[in-house]
Amino acid sequence: MIDAFSAGAVTLAATSMDMPSIDDFLPPEILFQGTPFAINRIIFVRILATIIMLLVLGITAARAKLIPGRWQGAVEWIVEFTEKNIVYQVMGEVRGRRYVPMILTVFLTMLVFNLCGEVPGFNIAASATITLPLVFAIWCFVQYWIAGIREKGLGHFLRDEMFPKGVPAPVYILLAPIQLLELLIIRPFSLTIRLFANMVSGHLILALCLSATQFFLFEVVNKAMMPFGIITFAAGAFMYLFEMLVAALQAYIFAILTTAYINMSYPEVD
Amino acid sequence: MMTLAEDGVSLFLPKSYDIVWSLIILVIVAIFFYKFFLPKLQSVFDERASKIEGGIAKAEEAQKEAEEAKKKYEAQLGTARVEASKIRDDARAEASHIISDARSRAESDAAQITANAQRSIESQQQKAMVSLQGQVGVLATALAGKILGSELKDANVQSDMIDQMIADMDTEAKK
Amino acid sequence: MDIVTLAEVAGNLNVVGYGLAAIGPGIGLGILIGKTIESTARQPELGGRLQTLMFLGLAFVEVLALLGFVAAFIFS
Repeated sequence: MIDAFSAGAVTLAATSMDMPSIDDFLPPEILFQGTPFAINRIIFVRILATIIMLLVLGITAARAKLIPGRWQGAVEWIVEFTEKNIVYQVMGEVRGRRYVPMILTVFLTMLVFNLCGEVPGFNIAASATITLPLVFAIWCFVQYWIAGIREKGLGHFLRDEMFPKGVPAPVYILLAPIQLLELLIIRPFSLTIRLFANMVSGHLILALCLSATQFFLFEVVNKAMMPFGIITFAAGAFMYLFEMLVAALQAYIFAILTTAYINMSYPEVD
Repeated sequence: MMTLAEDGVSLFLPKSYDIVWSLIILVIVAIFFYKFFLPKLQSVFDERASKIEGGIAKAEEAQKEAEEAKKKYEAQLGTARVEASKIRDDARAEASHIISDARSRAESDAAQITANAQRSIESQQQKAMVSLQGQVGVLATALAGKILGSELKDANVQSDMIDQMIADMDTEAKK
Repeated sequence: MDIVTLAEVAGNLNVVGYGLAAIGPGIGLGILIGKTIESTARQPELGGRLQTLMFLGLAFVEVLALLGFVAAFIFS
């Protein structure tokens, strides 16, 4: 798999180069090996990020003043953005009120965890194992099933989802299983894989650019190769900024899709 | 032909400890946001909203008060103006009253003074008349006695006598 | 190397496969987002609703690319 993403570079450089690989996402356990509480590098990053996030936001909330300072204003802006631009815009205020804390949890946690990939020292997103996005996606899955059953009843909910109106009858043979599959598997897994894939590819590309820079600037024998190092460094800097954008965007997409999925379980009222 | 890549597959298989930690973190984070972070911020938002609304209400009240005060002031100004004009009118009326009063009093005074003077003149005249009458009688008697007592020789003596008598009367009157 | 091999392609076929798999969703995403922008320009007041619909459609389209991604890692 290493050569999957680095075949070209390897043949070009031909000497040993520290390549990123998917082993970065399967780090060895460093604490409590073999127990259900084993901790590897990514989980360590995740715990650290959680503690930092809870401390920073907790102190901000505990010290929240009537007249906000600059930092409190920024936090409040994020909260209001989640509330107005994600939840209320999709669900409306009456329905959405119940889900504001959930979506805020999803959005802020994902944002912080995704951005860990760009923090020097962490260097890997805390959401870069399949499990964390999966857990969040299952939360979303449970929520939209509960919402559907509560608002419509199980039978009505399934009928509305599997047999949407305005489709000619024979098409239902094809459509119904697909819809059921979507409801049960595609929604949570696409949420999971989308986030995970973005984190994996982001880390691989960024690490590839930077390790190539290191290689071309300091380790390469042939000094004529050094201009490549400048190019890869520029590419790395660009990817760094791009990955920050992707981290925020993926958190936003995760939150807005969660909201939209839950909203689709509610009966149409327009 | 298709074989599974060991590493690649394990990338997509959740590990048990990973599940444990993900769930623990999810629960902690969710509790934090549900029970602490959002209610706290929400209360700050609510407080701010109520404060802003209160401020607006207060400002409105102040404006209303100011308007009331202005109205009151204007009303006061109006009544003051009316009062002033009334006072001026009163003063003018009083002044004319005083003037006419004074005039009438002066007139009556003057009339009284004239009347008094007239009366005193009349009484003096009367007094003079009375005393004259009394003296005329005495003089006439004395004259008659003199005429009868001495002889009247001629007309000269006669007139001399009369003149002297009148002079006597004069001195007598002057006394 | 066999004698019959005339030209050898170095590297991993999975990457090529993923590249091919990304073409379709790429075109799809382009059309989807472009149409959303167009519609929003025509009726800006519907912007919020259109954006939500766009994200829902985006979830469908991206599933294809994600399948390619997963397949590239899993099969060797």
